[in-house]
Amino acid sequence: MSKTTFTRRNLLKTSASLGVMAGTGLLVAPALAQNRSIKIGSYGGYFEDSLKSHVYPAFTEATGIAVESVTQPDSTSWLQTMSQAISAGNVPADLSMHTPVNIIKGQRLGGILAPIDPRRIPTLDNVEVNFLHRADGRLLGVGALSFYYSMVVNTDEVDMRPKSWADFWDTGRFEASLGLPKNVNFKFLDIVAATFLGGTDALRSHEGIVAAVEKAAEIHPNVALWYTGESQMEQALKNFDVIGGMYFHDVAGLMAADGHPIASIFPKEGNVIDFNSWTLSEGSQKQDEAYEFMAFSCLPETQAIMSRKIGTAPVVDAAKTDLTPEELAAVAGTPAIHSPYEVYLDDETFITETWDRMVAKA
Amino acid sequence: MRATQPAIPFTVARLFQKFVVLVLAVVPFLLVFAISFGEKIEGAAWVWSFELSNYKRFFVGADYPNSVSFLYLKYLWYSIYYALIASILAVATAFPFVYLMTRLSRRVQTIWLVFFLCSLTFSEVFIVMGWDILMSNRSGLPMLFKESGLTDWLKQTGGLDIMRDWGLATPRNVRFKPSEFATILTMTYLVWPYAVILLYPPVSKINNEIIEAARTMGARPATVVRTVVLPMVRTPIVGTILLLFVFLLGAYVTVAVFAEPAKHTLSISVYEAVRGATLNAPFGSAQAVILLLTAAAILFFGRRFVSHPEGR
Repeated sequence: MSKTTFTRRNLLKTSASLGVMAGTGLLVAPALAQNRSIKIGSYGGYFEDSLKSHVYPAFTEATGIAVESVTQPDSTSWLQTMSQAISAGNVPADLSMHTPVNIIKGQRLGGILAPIDPRRIPTLDNVEVNFLHRADGRLLGVGALSFYYSMVVNTDEVDMRPKSWADFWDTGRFEASLGLPKNVNFKFLDIVAATFLGGTDALRSHEGIVAAVEKAAEIHPNVALWYTGESQMEQALKNFDVIGGMYFHDVAGLMAADGHPIASIFPKEGNVIDFNSWTLSEGSQKQDEAYEFMAFSCLPETQAIMSRKIGTAPVVDAAKTDLTPEELAAVAGTPAIHSPYEVYLDDETFITETWDRMVAKA
Repeated sequence: MRATQPAIPFTVARLFQKFVVLVLAVVPFLLVFAISFGEKIEGAAWVWSFELSNYKRFFVGADYPNSVSFLYLKYLWYSIYYALIASILAVATAFPFVYLMTRLSRRVQTIWLVFFLCSLTFSEVFIVMGWDILMSNRSGLPMLFKESGLTDWLKQTGGLDIMRDWGLATPRNVRFKPSEFATILTMTYLVWPYAVILLYPPVSKINNEIIEAARTMGARPATVVRTVVLPMVRTPIVGTILLLFVFLLGAYVTVAVFAEPAKHTLSISVYEAVRGATLNAPFGSAQAVILLLTAAAILFFGRRFVSHPEGR
C-alpha cells in the first residue's frame, strides 16, 4: 500500500517540478476566477482572526478565489455539526480543520470527510509524511500546521528552570502552583508516559494507561488549576494564579512578547507535538477551489507566513522555508513527543474514565 | 348554542396547552430517554440500540467488573450538595431582607423590586465573570490581601497554613478559586434576586396587626419572627428553596469556573459526554435522565414536607 503511494507521489514530484505548477498556475488564475469563492472553517478566536488577516488575503491575491471564513468552535463538536448539516444536505464549510483523532473519527462515522486526491495537490510533496493523514490508503487530511503542548513557567516566580517534567512532581517547589489540562485529550498523559514509562508506547495497554494515570495522580497536590479552556489557563498564567504547567508553546511565546513573565521550555523529555489538517467536506461543490487552497497551504512560503503571524510550526521541512533560527525556535523545538492517537480512539472510554477518575479523585 | 360557543375557545386553549407541553417537554424528554439506551462505538459516535450499559456505567463505572468506580455518583452528590446549600443560603439571607423591605413605604419597595428585576437580566456567564475577576490573584481580593499586608500577617500568625488546609491558600497568598467557597458563593448570588422576588408576595401579605398583637402580648421581636412570621410563610419558603434548588442543579458555568474537577457536578459530566471529545450522547443522556429523576424525587419529598407539616 505504502509503496504505490510512494511511486504516485514520485510521479507528482516530476510533473510538479517540470511545470512549476504552484507558481505559474496560481498567477494565471485571477483572470479566470471572477466569482470564485470557498468556505473555510477554522477554530474561532485569535487563530481564525490571524488566518483571516494574513493567510486568506494572500490566497485571494494569488488565485482570485475569495475566502469566506467559517468559525469552528473546535474539532470534535464541529465534526458533529458537519455530520448533521451534511445529512440535511448542507455543506457548512468546503474545507475544515480537524485533529488527527477526529479525522479517524470522521472516517469511521462516514459521509463527512471526502477523500482527497493527492494528484490534484502539486505541492503536496513539501509536506512531511507524518502530517499527511491516510486511512485505508486514502488521503483524508493534509497537514495545515503543527504545534506543541509545552512546559511553561512564570519566570518571576520560578527561579530555577525545570530541566525535566519530573520536576513538576516536586511538592517542595510547586505546591498548588500548576495549571494542567482537565481533559485527557490534551495529552498530559503522553508526557507522563514519556517521562516515567519510557515512552508513549506504554499507553498501548490498559496496564500502561493505569500506570501512567497513577503517576499523574501523584501531581495532584501541585495542581492549582485543571483548566477546561485554553483561555482559562491564559488568564491563570497572567494572574499568577498558576506559575507553571502545560500550555501551547506558541501562545506562551506570544504572551512573553506581550511582556508577561512566561517562558516555554523544552525539557529533556521534550514536548508533545500535534497537528491539524485541512479536510474536504463530503458534498462540497467547490472541489477545485479547495484543491487550490490546499496546494497554497502546502507552499513553504505559506507555512512561513503562518509561523511568523500565527506561531504555528511548519508542516514542511523547515529548511525549505526562509525562517530564521530564532523564528523557528519561537514555534518549534526538540525533542518532540509523538502521541499514540489510536489509543485515544480505540480505548476511548477506558482512557477517558480512568483519567477522569484520577482528576476527580474518585 | 349559547352554551357551546364559549366552549370552543376553551377547547382550543386546552389543546394548545397540551400541544405546548408535548412539544416543549414530553418529546425532548422521550428523545433523551430513548438515546440513553444507545450504544457507544469506540473511536466513533453512537448508534441506536437498547442496552442498560449506560445506566450501569453511571453506578459502577465503565470498567466494571474489573474495577468499580463511583465517579458519576460523586458528580451527582456534588450537584445536589451545591444546589441545596446555595438555595438554602439564598433564602436564609433573602428572607430577612424581604421582611425588612416590606416594612418600608410602597414607593421604596417598588424601587427595590424594579432593581431586582433588572438584575435578573445578568446572565450566569456575566455574573461568573464578575466574581472571577473579584477573586483573581492579581485583580481581586488576593491582591487586596497582599497589598494591605493581611497576607504577611496571616503568614506570621499561621492563619495562612490553616487556610492552606482548607484549600483557600497557596504558600504565596490566599487563593479563593477554585474552591467550594467560591462555587457556593456565586451560586447563592446567582439566585438571590429570584429568592427576593419569590418571597416578596407572601411576606408582604403578612398582616401587621397580627405582629402587633403578638408584640402587645409581650413577645420579643425575635420570638414574633420565630413563632408568628415564619410559620405563616413556611410553605412559600420551602417552595422557594425547592425552585432555586432545581434551578441550580443545572448550573454549568459557575461549576466549570469555580469548582475544582474533584468536585465537579453532573451537568459538567453530561456536557462533556455529549459535546466533548467522546461524542457519547447515550451516556450523557443516561446521566441527564438520572439527574432529572433525582430532581423529581427531591421535589416530591419536598412537597410532602410542606403539605404534611409535622407538629401542626
